[in-house]
Amino acid sequence: MIRVALAGNPNVGKSVIFNALTGMRQKIGNWPGVTVEKKEGVYKYRDVEFHVVDLPGIYGLTAHSIDEKIARDYILKGKPDVVVDIVDASNIERNLYLTMQLMEMEANIVIALNKMDLAEQKGYKIDVRKLSKELGIPVIPTIAVKGVGIEELKNAILQASKVKREPYVRYSDGIERYIELVKSKIIENSILPNYPPKFVAIKLLEFDDEIMREAGIDGEVVEKWISSVS
Amino acid sequence: MRRLHNLKPGTKAIVLDIVGNSTLAKKLLGMGLTKGVELKVVRNAPLKDPMEIEVRGYSLSLRKAEAENVIVEVREK
Repeated sequence: MIRVALAGNPNVGKSVIFNALTGMRQKIGNWPGVTVEKKEGVYKYRDVEFHVVDLPGIYGLTAHSIDEKIARDYILKGKPDVVVDIVDASNIERNLYLTMQLMEMEANIVIALNKMDLAEQKGYKIDVRKLSKELGIPVIPTIAVKGVGIEELKNAILQASKVKREPYVRYSDGIERYIELVKSKIIENSILPNYPPKFVAIKLLEFDDEIMREAGIDGEVVEKWISSVS
Repeated sequence: MRRLHNLKPGTKAIVLDIVGNSTLAKKLLGMGLTKGVELKVVRNAPLKDPMEIEVRGYSLSLRKAEAENVIVEVREK
């Protein structure tokens, strides 16, 4: 069984895509310990069974709100086989911020570029192939409310589940040097070995409270590490 | 150099800096208020709390306490 998670900003048509994928076969409950709704469903495509979890709608993965924390924990700890990132084509710049964060987490992403009709009405011309190439991620244009692109999306999820792709965000040389340094410290001290080391390095450089707490490292340690560069 | 919460509806401005505590700064950066980005004040609620701005092609509502931490340069009124 292939485990799929749906991620996306609020109001991008995530529920519509969830329904289009799973149809009537859904279960609604809560995320453990919190009163945030958890929707799960299953579907079959080419004799393969897919289990889909609908993550809360979020703008980022900083773990500042309970919704963001749920989504981040699920991707890092639940390690779904494929993460479908639903991007609102009519508000693409805003939406790609979450995409970058998912890439940093080295999730195996498929982008559903939804609301293509609205984007067109706004006069946007999106070069889907180029976007896919630049990001190194499959991008499937969809108009979920009309069912357009759902078959293609199912196929892309199936293909993605066969090859674990690790997207890569490259920052400027200066920042990459710091990331490399912190990453080597993380590996040396086997800090949070179940998480991608580059992701942990980036989060420590951001002084992310949650990751610092989980790693048992405070800002001073990170400061000391990075003081040796430059 | 001015703070965002002081701007009147219709004003366009460029973000110069985000000040204040890092949690809030990260949240604002995450909402797209990065250095150099252009924004426009759309309207204010009574007492300017919250205020609505347009940034990166979408509408964003900010509390006065949040907008205070955004340092801007006015472009046109």
